[in-house]
Amino acid sequence: MTRGLASLRRINPTILVFVVLLAAICWMSPLYRTPAGLLSLLQRAAPVVILSCGQSFVLIAGGFDLASGSLITLVVVACALITGGDAGWTWVALLASYGIGAAVGVVNGVIVARGKVPSIIATLGTLLSVKGIAMMWSGGAPGGYLPANLRFFGRYVWRHVPLVGRFPVAVVVLIISIAIMAWLMHGTNFGRLLLMIGDNPRAAELAGAPVRRFRMLTFVISALASVTAGILLGGFSGVSVDVGTGYELQAISAAVIGGVVLLGGQGSMLGAVFGGLTLYALFTLLNLVGFPEPMRVAVQGIILIAAAALSARRGRRI
Amino acid sequence: MSSMGAISIWTTEPEALLTMRDISKSFLGVRVLSHIGFDCRAGEVHALCGENGAGKSTLMKILSGAFPADEGTIVLDGTVRRFTHPSQARAAGIGIIHQELSLLPHRSVAENIYLGREPSRGGVVDRARMGRDARRALSRLGSTIEPQAQTGDLTIAEQQVVEIAKALAVDARVLVFDEPTAPLDVVESGKLFRVIAELRATGVAIIYISHRMREVFEIADRVTVLKDGRGMATLTAAQATPDAVIRLMVGRPISDLFPPRATRPPGAVVLQIQDGANGHLAGINLTLRAGEIMGVAGLEGSGKMELARAIFGDEPFTSGEITLLSGAAAAWSPREAVRRGVAFLPDDRKSEGLGLRQSLRDNALVVRRSLSRALALPSRGNRAPAIFDALFRKVEMRAADVDAPVGRLSGGNQQKVIVARWLAAEPRLWIVAEPTRGIDVGAKAAIYGLLRDYAESGGAVLMISSDLTEIIGESDRIAVMAGGRIVVELPPGASEEAIMAHAVHGPQVAEALA
Repeated sequence: MTRGLASLRRINPTILVFVVLLAAICWMSPLYRTPAGLLSLLQRAAPVVILSCGQSFVLIAGGFDLASGSLITLVVVACALITGGDAGWTWVALLASYGIGAAVGVVNGVIVARGKVPSIIATLGTLLSVKGIAMMWSGGAPGGYLPANLRFFGRYVWRHVPLVGRFPVAVVVLIISIAIMAWLMHGTNFGRLLLMIGDNPRAAELAGAPVRRFRMLTFVISALASVTAGILLGGFSGVSVDVGTGYELQAISAAVIGGVVLLGGQGSMLGAVFGGLTLYALFTLLNLVGFPEPMRVAVQGIILIAAAALSARRGRRI
Repeated sequence: MSSMGAISIWTTEPEALLTMRDISKSFLGVRVLSHIGFDCRAGEVHALCGENGAGKSTLMKILSGAFPADEGTIVLDGTVRRFTHPSQARAAGIGIIHQELSLLPHRSVAENIYLGREPSRGGVVDRARMGRDARRALSRLGSTIEPQAQTGDLTIAEQQVVEIAKALAVDARVLVFDEPTAPLDVVESGKLFRVIAELRATGVAIIYISHRMREVFEIADRVTVLKDGRGMATLTAAQATPDAVIRLMVGRPISDLFPPRATRPPGAVVLQIQDGANGHLAGINLTLRAGEIMGVAGLEGSGKMELARAIFGDEPFTSGEITLLSGAAAAWSPREAVRRGVAFLPDDRKSEGLGLRQSLRDNALVVRRSLSRALALPSRGNRAPAIFDALFRKVEMRAADVDAPVGRLSGGNQQKVIVARWLAAEPRLWIVAEPTRGIDVGAKAAIYGLLRDYAESGGAVLMISSDLTEIIGESDRIAVMAGGRIVVELPPGASEEAIMAHAVHGPQVAEALA
């Protein structure tokens, strides 16, 4: 009980900021004042939130995963090429996507955990390689399109749902993803040990924790989260070689906004979720006030720096 | 106590250089210092003793301007001073040598000594003069450290000398040493004591804080004991016997510090090493039985820590035969060692033992979690006050707030958390390195008791320590190491002189002695 209260107090600022941003959005645009409007906001925030949660595993254990954005691109390109627009191939494409994701995660994990390469460099390398593969495979230009039953996850909205009216499929994917990751982080020995590993890997190792194996698994979890985000993004924005560009930094920004401390040892799924929501709400608000699109990137940079500075301060305060 | 009241330092003794009178301090309504009087004369070593939480650091922080006192005055050289910032205390001539050194590892020795006060000529740092001044300052301390050397490359002992030179470079007339020997071995400590003696001879007033009673008696002219924020007494060197000081500190005599030795004959062999060797160790032969506490003594660099790390699999033996509980221990790693029932209490609990930002609960449960299935629900651990109550009662600790970050606890309580972590795993062999480094006497006694209880219940303990008092007081057998070898094995109760002779002179002399 006291633990819950304490963690709530720690994360409170993010939730508060999100509520303020949401209020501002609703004030600016009547579209968002209905349950359906809020759900569609959630639908579009889903990829960032899922990425933020996956990225948090890597961050909490003391690493970075910069490969997630280009993995999204690869997944979308792969789905388009495998299905060739044929709905019959959708399940093959989905399985292949998760297979590719797991492979990229294992490669990242092995390079970092066994090769002792700093994760920020290792995953920067995978970012480029994975992006290169996606470009090669698609011939440099986005080819084909995704069949409707694949776009279902990102785009479809159930109508005539009691109470709320419309309910997007992506929100269901979001809730299931969060539930799985929250369980992994807060409901298992694995998750509890990740915090210890991120705080002091040496102490964790000397206490018998499987530090390298667990660190490797964080990259696999992050990669699988990226695949899920990629399937949703492909669903609502279609096939392009830019579909995932920049998402790795959005994921890191979101996690840090949510109180995950860079270099590890502190953070929660609740924080990661609200970090993602806050970032997305901010972008939505900037859109509504007519903020020029290119400046969004600049704003994101400033937010990343500010959040990192804040988290460094939080990390020091024992 | 009345006889102590009779020592009137105010009238008959020379005027003190520094006098702290009637100092009181409260934090959030809790009184941590209550009407403390303390003084130090030029050319005197005045030791400040007390358990953790007795108020030593608070008193020294008030002296150094880290925060002001609520009541009381500080008189330095006849003038009442009030420091509101550490820089003011520094400028007034008060220097502090902290346990954690404040040097920049990537800068040269000279740059560190004159940091922020570099001699300049025409607006440019005069490096030649800085080097000359640094060399002179160091040689005054009897040191030959090269001023251009990179500070991070020096040993801890040398860095301490640099830190002292840095304090003296601002004309410090009062020097506070806060646990200076904690990271040093016996030989290095001896060198430090010579430096302190020289400083005393030049008229510096020295305040010395240490948990090691032996050195307090070796170098102090007077000893002031604090307990629970009150001044218990100020004793002269002649009055300050170990028993008197410890009784004032904790209210019990020193003989109660160590539990009685093993009552039963040792049991089955737990660990056997034949001709164990790696890059740091050679020809290690060792047999450890259930119910035994084996002490391992040796100087810094003798290989005693490397032995602990080799057995635990952190830097395993590369040749030789190691048998643990009648199974071979090959391709060894810490994780494997833990799974086979080996526990390890590291010598540096902050960098190797604890996740300081994690809660007391998470730190205490880390071994159990590492041994359980990764996807198992830790719910039993999360609502396990019963387990904790039992464990913390066993380590004499109040589980006041198991959700508080462990970094907030005192050193003694942090050590108890690590002890509890291993007790929960029920190990067969326990390697403990410097188990009581930097913790107060009360916590020391608790840990000695726990180790003995553990051995009595059938465990085997290998205790690596630089503290000869605990090696002699706690061990059933004593192995002395030098040059990566075990040079001799001594019976319980061996004298300090015998241990030191082997530790300092190494294998050759040990053979000659035999």
